[in-house]
Amino acid sequence: MNWRQVFTIARREYRATVRRKAFLFTAIGTPAYFALVMYISLGPGAKEKLSTLREFTALGVVDSTGLYRDAPREIQTDIALEAPQLGAPLPPQIVRTHVQFFPDMPAAEKALRRGDLNQVLVIPADYLVRGKLRRYARSSNLFSSADGRPISAWLVEGLAGRGLDSIRTARISRPTLGMDLYALNRNGVFELKDDRRELVDFMLPLAFAMLLGLSITVGGQYLLTGVAEEKESRILESILCTVTPEELLGGKLVGLGAAGLTLVGIWVAMGIPVFGAGAVLAKATLPAGIAFIALAYFLLAYLFYGSLMTGIGSVTNNMREAQQFGVWFSFLNFAPVIGMTLILARPGGPVATIMSLFPPTAATAMMLRLMAPSSVVPAWQIGISLTLLLLAAWLALAFSARVFRIGLLMYGKTPNLPEILRWAGRK
Amino acid sequence: MLQVHEVLKSYDGRAVVNRVSFEVRAGEIFALLGPNGAGKTTLIRMITDILKPDSGTIRFEGQPIGAENRQRIAYLPEERGLYKRSKVGEVIEYWGTLKGLTRAAAQREAKELLARVELSEWTDKQVQALSKGMQQKLQLCTALIGGPRLLILDEPFSGLDPVNVQLLEDILSERRAGGVTVLLSTHQMNKVEELCDRALMINKGYMVLYGPVREIRRAHADHAIMVRAQGELDGLPGVRRVEQVNGDKKLVLEPQATAGSVLRAILDRGVDVESMNMAELPLEDVFIKVVREGLGLDHGRSEIEPDALAAVAERAR
Repeated sequence: MNWRQVFTIARREYRATVRRKAFLFTAIGTPAYFALVMYISLGPGAKEKLSTLREFTALGVVDSTGLYRDAPREIQTDIALEAPQLGAPLPPQIVRTHVQFFPDMPAAEKALRRGDLNQVLVIPADYLVRGKLRRYARSSNLFSSADGRPISAWLVEGLAGRGLDSIRTARISRPTLGMDLYALNRNGVFELKDDRRELVDFMLPLAFAMLLGLSITVGGQYLLTGVAEEKESRILESILCTVTPEELLGGKLVGLGAAGLTLVGIWVAMGIPVFGAGAVLAKATLPAGIAFIALAYFLLAYLFYGSLMTGIGSVTNNMREAQQFGVWFSFLNFAPVIGMTLILARPGGPVATIMSLFPPTAATAMMLRLMAPSSVVPAWQIGISLTLLLLAAWLALAFSARVFRIGLLMYGKTPNLPEILRWAGRK
Repeated sequence: MLQVHEVLKSYDGRAVVNRVSFEVRAGEIFALLGPNGAGKTTLIRMITDILKPDSGTIRFEGQPIGAENRQRIAYLPEERGLYKRSKVGEVIEYWGTLKGLTRAAAQREAKELLARVELSEWTDKQVQALSKGMQQKLQLCTALIGGPRLLILDEPFSGLDPVNVQLLEDILSERRAGGVTVLLSTHQMNKVEELCDRALMINKGYMVLYGPVREIRRAHADHAIMVRAQGELDGLPGVRRVEQVNGDKKLVLEPQATAGSVLRAILDRGVDVESMNMAELPLEDVFIKVVREGLGLDHGRSEIEPDALAAVAERAR
């Protein structure tokens, strides 16, 4: 193998890829898209929750039990407690809900339809026995459950009697609201698991696994489509007169892998101000040597997927066919992300362990396990996982080099699996 | 320069190139002919080391084809393709660096080549902005950069207008004068007659013709001579019939007659002879004849490299 040729090809592949408009669009457009999706889905959700509470100013009650005859005619709710607790605690913001009693449902319904009330609460005569209540609202949306809390507090106060002050009522209605959880971290120290920390504990493994998975998939997709494109445009024959298929394969793996890493690097750089600040605020700790482990997994998994995708790219006849195959590889690579709740809930469990040892899913699954809160992955498991992945990558490279050499010059019908395997067996 | 000896290549038990042997001499333009599917592309791929022969040897400048000498061989394939979104200058420069040039040398040579094929003003344009003919000239530049010693051109004239055909012929002449050997694969027989010294024709993987182009044409022509003369040529001894071909007369000879005996008879008659040549069949007709007849070489009449033809006949049996 002439390494000068390999790096000449790698340099061209890298430059040609990163200078494409599609690359710039992906590099900047993807984080922008995710930011927009998060803003649209999370921001308005929280706002809607708060505005539902703010607008909940009038509650009609039809009490058939008589239990609430002396209940307060006003509910006070601190909506600051409902806001996401990511920064310093917010000052109290009290919202008042006026409670109006009605003798029967038709009268209450009339007021509700007129717009005098936001909601009507019907307390049936057998409430104490069965615990069933009915609530009527003018409209319903995803976040309407937020307004259940003031009603809950009012019901507790009504049941407990007039002897309780508002603070006691609030505590009884949500006794664990302010409970802090301290859990052992991976260094064996108890640390606070608050809202902020829980979010970081979830987002950090997800971000690591996604970045690793994306860098592998993006690099692999570049290889797959790049080879298919060159084959389709008949460039390969004149290149192969000058370089060997192995040099071409090597150059593409290096150049397009570097392009994939550059893309992820840009995403990381754009994400650090957001996620980095969150992680620092939450005092999150990373496992020792995580950067080196992630790099090792990236290199081996990229070699594994990149080799297979290049081999597949060489046997297809056009980009469309190549992309159809690519989807399956991406699915395999991201399978652990799909099952991440299972892995994060039990990072030492059998599913997480098997997925982190199985070469096609090892990289992303191991990242999730390593980054899961309180998780300590035994070093021997990391060693076995990397060894298996190395072996699989070597086999994939050897297989693809043979298929690549023959597939590059084959046109016409796409070969089936037995034919591809026969090619791989040729000297 | 290039020696191909007993080269065999099979796919799924079927020989695509069947024990082919030939030599391309330094500085000549050598034609590789054959109908579609004859095995030409496979043979070229083996010469360029893209494919390995199952058996036989290919040597270039005395050495087996391999990493050491493949960079001195350039190949312009029939199925052409370039990086459409790359700039014209960068494409040639890239091929130059792959052939071992430094970036500076590749840039310098790319500039010269683009000027030679009249594409200088397109240097910074994307390849996809070029017309088909221009792309073809660009692809020729990728083959020429790095100063190859052997230039393999597969249908280089297709898609070119007459002006660019002339340009390509001029470039080939220049390169030949500079010591470059050219292996030309084409179906344009007039170009072979015009440009090539010798030719090899294969059919169904077998060698069927091999030798100087002129000899091949003569070997397959009628036993006849072409005479330009003032005077009556009818009724000459040894002449079966006389045909008028353009301004010349074609004298079809009796099997036992020779060109020399007939010429003597003409001169004895006192006819003034301006010129006389052995009759030649147009190469296109030779091509059609040989392909239609399968392996039908007429060995008894062939005057071209009898050893090679005997070997071919032996294999054909």
